[in-house]
Amino acid sequence: MMGLVRKLASLKLTLIGMVALAVVSLVGARTDAVDLVWTIVPLVLLSMNLAAAILTNRSFRTQTGLLVFHVGLLLVFALIGLTVATRFNGRVEMLQGEAFDPSMLEVDYRGPLHGGDLSAIRFVQRDFEVDYLPGIVRQETRGVIDIVDDAGGQRRHMIGDKQGVEFGGFRFVATANKGFALVLGWEDASGARQFGAVHLPSYPKHDWKQVNDWTTPAGQPVRLELELEEPPIVTDAAWTLRRPTGGYRVHVQAAGAEIGVVSPGESIELPGGRLIVADLRLWMGYSVDYYPFLPWMFVAAMLAIGGLAIHFGTRYLPQAERKTEAVIQEAPDGHVIGA
Amino acid sequence: MSLVLEQQVALVAAALLAAATLVRVWAFAAGRSGDRPTFALLMAAVAVLGAMIAGRWIREGQGPFLTMYDVLLSNAFSLGLLFLLVSWRLPVVRSASLVACPVLAVLGIWMLVVPSEGVPLPPTFDNYWLWVHVGAGKLFLGVCLASMSAAALLLLRQRAADSRRMAMARDPEELSRAVWLLFFLAFVFHSFMLVAGAVWAHSAWGRYWSWDPLETWTLATWLLLGFILHARATFKGMPENLGYSLVIASFVLAFLTFFGVPLINNAPHKGVM
Repeated sequence: MMGLVRKLASLKLTLIGMVALAVVSLVGARTDAVDLVWTIVPLVLLSMNLAAAILTNRSFRTQTGLLVFHVGLLLVFALIGLTVATRFNGRVEMLQGEAFDPSMLEVDYRGPLHGGDLSAIRFVQRDFEVDYLPGIVRQETRGVIDIVDDAGGQRRHMIGDKQGVEFGGFRFVATANKGFALVLGWEDASGARQFGAVHLPSYPKHDWKQVNDWTTPAGQPVRLELELEEPPIVTDAAWTLRRPTGGYRVHVQAAGAEIGVVSPGESIELPGGRLIVADLRLWMGYSVDYYPFLPWMFVAAMLAIGGLAIHFGTRYLPQAERKTEAVIQEAPDGHVIGA
Repeated sequence: MSLVLEQQVALVAAALLAAATLVRVWAFAAGRSGDRPTFALLMAAVAVLGAMIAGRWIREGQGPFLTMYDVLLSNAFSLGLLFLLVSWRLPVVRSASLVACPVLAVLGIWMLVVPSEGVPLPPTFDNYWLWVHVGAGKLFLGVCLASMSAAALLLLRQRAADSRRMAMARDPEELSRAVWLLFFLAFVFHSFMLVAGAVWAHSAWGRYWSWDPLETWTLATWLLLGFILHARATFKGMPENLGYSLVIASFVLAFLTFFGVPLINNAPHKGVM
């Protein structure tokens, strides 16, 4: 058994693992030829190699710094594995005035052992605004959400570029993705009304195509295009994106032809019902992440770096300092900088 | 300092770096030390670059973090300053200015041909970890430059037909020790740069690792540094020349990562916009 462990601790295996990790990372990140998930193979190989070396390599017993570095590195590898297994990444677009609903989330990644509970998250998106410099350079984002507690009470929380919000390990961070949303009403033949919102493409990134397709509850596909009377965007001066207060109109198209232009509060007859343009608001895009082991990964990484620093201080520096003193004393030509 | 004045001062800085290189090469060709004028010019260049950064910082209201010009200016300064500091603490490394000065001159001249207008720093980028991350990166590259320069000088020494010209590398054993001391220190700083970068990235755009080009090539550089340190421990009889060549290769990779990736990729870090 120990023979196998010693073979596994081979430094040559370390070199092979490093080359493999570099190759998989570079090829995987640059092309679709290799999925980055394959980085797990060299990482597992290096982890086993590292664990075996810590158990069997005698140099670790005499070089504390080196031991601390490698133990820290092994912990980092283990925590990377746990993070991949438990992390969650997603996105959500929140309309002003809208309450968060987990079903709104677009999931980018959910680890096989992810155990977070999104259903406990309750907050309402309130107003926000984003400053821009001339040339449409995004600056500060300021926003407000109301966090709803178990008793139904609300607590105001500020959202900004450097200030997200965390619910049970889920971190919501405002992104550069935000835009206008048309709040629409639909009245069917019986007179029953329902309301919803159609989010338009990100603004000002797609300011020239504030249009989106939508299918009415009666099954009629339509295309809705927003026309702002006074677009907020200014290219040669500073401006702020905020909830629009000016006039606007909505161009309604069906089957490629415009069938009407609707102003706020007005409606248009469509097959199966009536479409009402109720309001124009903003939506804010959030990234949603869950990394339960990230703080521990940081601690392990700092432990590893501390080990490197100890090793440098105990093995390399004393030799250098002794030799430097000798060189300064011997310097024959007075060219020693600062000596 | 206005932008026009800064551009004129940049010419002076680049000229000083080029002059330091020419003096050092001339001294090498003549078989003389050349330390005094070389380091005087280098110190003057670093002082001018420092003044440029200070003036730009005051004018723009932000540090040199974002554009290619920022990267070249700040690295020409930090690499020059670190080489001076290393030469002060390890006098044997002074002779490696034969290799370090041309690298610094390349940065100085390159700086003259890229747009120097500032770009506002995205608010999400602006936190303390940016400073830590960038600072650790500059420490890494500066120390790596000194290590590479010493390694290149040792290689040059072995191939030089005229030993009189290599008199500047008086103590090859000590210079070799300096190569590996600095190389290990570069590995420490690079490791810290990676960790600090992950913390910064997580706070800046919610991901601690995105596999963007800069991150991927930085990981490759870290692996190469680790590979070289392990290879030295694994193959005790590894020829010294091979070791020095690998040190040079690691600097070349780091240099291409620092200055090549931002050149071909407008958003080297995905969260930039």
